[in-house]
Amino acid sequence: MALLDCENLRKSFFGVEVLHGVSFSLDRGRVLGLVGENGSGKSTTMNILGGVLRRDGGRIRLDGADYEPRGPKDALARGIAFIHQELNLFENLSIEENLFITGFPRLGAAIPFINRGRMRRRARELLEQVDIRHPPGTPVGQLSQGERQLVEIAKALSVDARVIIFDEPTTSLTRREADRLFGIIERLRGRGIAMIYISHVLGDVTRICDDITVLRDGAVVGGGPVAQMPTERMISLMVGRTLDQLFPERTATPTDTPVLEVRGVSQPGVVHEIDFTLHAGEVLGIAGLMGAGRSELARILFGLDSFKTGTIAVDGVAIEAPSPSVCMDRGMAFLTEDRRGEGLMMHATIADNIALASLDEYASPWTRFVERTRLGDEVGRIGQKVRMRAADPMATLVRHLSGGNQQKVVLAKWLLREPKVFILDEPTRGIDVGAKFEIYKIIDTLVADGAGVLMISSEMEELIGLCDRILVMNHGEIQAEFRRGDFDSGRILEAAMRRRGTEAAAAPAAAMREAV
Amino acid sequence: MIATSIAGEARPSGPRRLLRHLLFSEYLVLYLSLAYFLAVLPFVPQMASAEVMRNILSDMLPLLVVAIGQTFVLIVAGIDLSVTSIIAMASVVGASVMTGDGGYLADSALAVPGAMIAMVLVGLAIGAFNGFCVNRLGMPPFIVTLTTMMFFSGAAIWFTTFHTETSSIANLPHGFVVLGQGNLGGVPHALWVVAAVGIAAHLVLARSVLGRRLYACGQNRRAAAVSGVPVGRVIAAAFLISGACAAVASILYTGRLQTGTPILGQTILLDIIGAVVIGGTSLFGGKGKVLWTVFGVLFLVLIDTSLKMLGLSLFSVFAIKGCVILLAAVIDAVRTRYAARF
Amino acid sequence: MNATRLRLVLLRNAPVALFIVVLAVFGSLSDRFLDAQNFTNILIQASHIAILGIGMTFVLLTAGIDLSVGAVMYLSVALLGIYLADVPPLLAVPAMMAAGALFGLVNAFFIVRLRVAAFIVTLATLFIGRGLALWVTETRMVFYKDHILSLARAEWLGVPWAIWVFAIVFAAAWLVLNHTPFGRQVYAVGENPDAAAKAGINVPLVLTAVYAVSGACAGIAGFVSITQVGAAASSFAMEKEFAAVAAAVLGGVSLFGGRGGVAGTVFGAVLIQTVQNGLVIVNADPYIYPLVTSSIIFLAVFVDSQRSRILERLGRRRIRIEERPV
Repeated sequence: MALLDCENLRKSFFGVEVLHGVSFSLDRGRVLGLVGENGSGKSTTMNILGGVLRRDGGRIRLDGADYEPRGPKDALARGIAFIHQELNLFENLSIEENLFITGFPRLGAAIPFINRGRMRRRARELLEQVDIRHPPGTPVGQLSQGERQLVEIAKALSVDARVIIFDEPTTSLTRREADRLFGIIERLRGRGIAMIYISHVLGDVTRICDDITVLRDGAVVGGGPVAQMPTERMISLMVGRTLDQLFPERTATPTDTPVLEVRGVSQPGVVHEIDFTLHAGEVLGIAGLMGAGRSELARILFGLDSFKTGTIAVDGVAIEAPSPSVCMDRGMAFLTEDRRGEGLMMHATIADNIALASLDEYASPWTRFVERTRLGDEVGRIGQKVRMRAADPMATLVRHLSGGNQQKVVLAKWLLREPKVFILDEPTRGIDVGAKFEIYKIIDTLVADGAGVLMISSEMEELIGLCDRILVMNHGEIQAEFRRGDFDSGRILEAAMRRRGTEAAAAPAAAMREAV
Repeated sequence: MIATSIAGEARPSGPRRLLRHLLFSEYLVLYLSLAYFLAVLPFVPQMASAEVMRNILSDMLPLLVVAIGQTFVLIVAGIDLSVTSIIAMASVVGASVMTGDGGYLADSALAVPGAMIAMVLVGLAIGAFNGFCVNRLGMPPFIVTLTTMMFFSGAAIWFTTFHTETSSIANLPHGFVVLGQGNLGGVPHALWVVAAVGIAAHLVLARSVLGRRLYACGQNRRAAAVSGVPVGRVIAAAFLISGACAAVASILYTGRLQTGTPILGQTILLDIIGAVVIGGTSLFGGKGKVLWTVFGVLFLVLIDTSLKMLGLSLFSVFAIKGCVILLAAVIDAVRTRYAARF
Repeated sequence: MNATRLRLVLLRNAPVALFIVVLAVFGSLSDRFLDAQNFTNILIQASHIAILGIGMTFVLLTAGIDLSVGAVMYLSVALLGIYLADVPPLLAVPAMMAAGALFGLVNAFFIVRLRVAAFIVTLATLFIGRGLALWVTETRMVFYKDHILSLARAEWLGVPWAIWVFAIVFAAAWLVLNHTPFGRQVYAVGENPDAAAKAGINVPLVLTAVYAVSGACAGIAGFVSITQVGAAASSFAMEKEFAAVAAAVLGGVSLFGGRGGVAGTVFGAVLIQTVQNGLVIVNADPYIYPLVTSSIIFLAVFVDSQRSRILERLGRRRIRIEERPV
């Protein structure tokens, strides 16, 4: 009999059903990979298991007994630990305090004080199991992301978890840290602990999981032992169509006119001797592993962060003292990877968000008042151009929009300025397939109108499908350049990992994870 | 900006609909003020007299000017506790310039304008210092303005000791006193000034580029910076405006009292912040309007006046004021949570 | 890089260095300043602010604020003077603590249950508390009987009574914050309330408790203060809430929650009092006291903000290792 058995789980939010009967089961000592696009219902399912949400229908059996957690604490007490993507650790507390934050060993039943000696001993045992060698009294703030992940696992072990759920555990880990995590998962499997592993990195899923379940639109669309689920099959199940349909035909070819020239840009500890030219009508991709310095470069180019040496020129004229407003005046635009944190005012209307970067252009010269009618008309026009689907941009708040429509708001904000150089940092992260396609079309129209687009993406397929040229960054440097026609995902990946020495050599197969 | 966007949801009928309409209305605090006025009228019929109305108005005016300045700071998610010390400091500095008892410009034709310029400069200078510390030095506004408040409250008293043996600087020129108490076309000078400040502030917030940027900085500072908003300068502008408004309030208060006194405004700090918050401006930034602040100040002054006229003791005035602020905050919290459901 | 490290070390120890400078300056200006009796005086004078600040520290650690503590001080001494005038202190103090804690629970109700911002709730209850106190005292000055006033001079084992109270409150608060599950959960809630809730900490309970603690401390502070002042006018403990926040911040407690501790707060309160005391001893113009005090607080906050900026910069993830790693 399976350890965990979910049958026909249903869940609705505000009358809209998002889980339509999800079923799967999990045995002791096995790792189940749960894959699916954002919004496919992975998180909802796991939140039900972890006690964060209550299910509306279906049943869950844990070890043969009905399982209905009243909250995260209850779920934990029943042996189900949920390690969230954003770690639940307190940086101001020590490792041991984090491990026991809700169940400190006390000096005695009636004595309210913490038994520090016992806490330390138990913490040492737990940390040994996850290979952490820091003293238990070390503040968590001093640990790396990977080590924090391991502390979370130790926390799960501290309550004798029988099922551990990992939600995108590797997003902020380095290659080496991820390998270390996989080693621990391997070891836990050996001890009979069952695990559910959620990830977009299909290479990882293939590497460490025993079984795969694919979700789409709140329902299970396929699954089976990992040997029967090659990556291509997972993807086609996830998206419901084959890959080559995903990209629009490019309507224009790049010109020879440079719009952005970057020469020898260096910032110690961040990027080194960055050198490239972006032409009008060109989509230039930047590939690389997480932490290769791509976003940091984008921020430097847009004047958000400083650099020590080198020049950045737009239309042949160097930018002195770059800042976002200076760069914007020169025709640059920047779509950030952190949409909620840096891209949008979530509690403001669509129109207010779109107008924010163009206020000066719509200010009357004398009073500095915003010319609201002119601005409103333009906002409406641009909204249509990006196919914004919202009733009234003047009244709808951005936080009520889907991820895809939110991203269109950010795009519209910059399109309103008619940029000549558009830096896009992960423009399709966290949005659904349909909206992705529309964003690709917007990019195509933009370059067809003569702009240059610098596109950072972690999705290799996206870069290959859309770009005219791809630069590969790693270790803060540009490692290689590929032209359309020479694109080869294997070679691009090889360049992205070159010089990473031992790390890359240690796990060549696993490095595929960045590719998908 | 926020409240109006709720309209057009599924509509329940009858009294519930009216209640919802009221709850989400921008004019909620105005309605409450009117309701309150009507409710106390049977107990204190004099409230409706022209005399009392005039008093309410003249109590409102200086408070309103400071509160408008505070609104700017709250919109950028800051807070300015130093306004009362600005009022005090500007008052004694202004008085020291124009007093007949050995003022720097005593008996000169420039005494009154000179003093007023000096007062506004004091406000701007302290506001600029606050803005500098918050922006450039990255210090939290609460602490920065708390220390400037402590410093300049003390400094105002100290400054006074150089100019007079008594606790305040008297013998202000006739021209200044007339300015504070006279009227133009039947309308008191103070009202002209406050109306001008209010309209200007409203236009800046509602219509100008700076206004849009103030809201943007309050809603999401990082997003504003990425969109090319000069965040530092915008926040500094909010503190500057707050300082200048406090200085204008100081001119009005000083004119009314006819002396420059260092304890001027000492007790009104909580009234100021309370009034702005009652109006509906959020302490967390990104939300607020001049009109809301006008209503908030009206409500607070109305309660103050009525309670005094009811012959209630000081303690009741305190306690009821507290309850009103609390009630306003609870309504705002309910409103926000209700709105979040859609 | 080494220069940065050095700056960090300097900045971290700046408040202590400031304290030493203060001692040196006043010590050289007056030989009375550094004697033991004077230091005892400083501790006595600092005790009520320190106790108030200790309660405030609990609240600040959860990223809240309690502006009502001055009003609670006044309210509790009003109750003492009117209803508990003949009750022995050993019973009166718990009663005052209970009144303060009850007041704190009211604050907590609005903050935790109705989710109104702590700043505005406690601002309102500041008015309400003062109003209640004026009602209790019928707006008259309250005088206290000898058994309370005599405590000002009372000693035990040669240590003045006020210092004992101060020490006991400090020790209790330190133990609670550092060595009980509740104390560590206070830090966790302040660092990240969402994560605390997900981890299974009863966040509403923790928040409720800190406001009760703050209220109770205000009750004790009221008692300690009244033994020294002797009478309570309607302006009693006015704006003490700011003094308490200042002491905590001077001692390194963050307004954003999760950082700092009661030892720092006590240090801050003592430092402020030392400066005030020194100014009195060297016969400084009394009008410059607030100027000096506020400048010192400003300096401490300035130093702290510079330090956290450097730390933040150092904490940024590095992509390339070009120099020696941090």
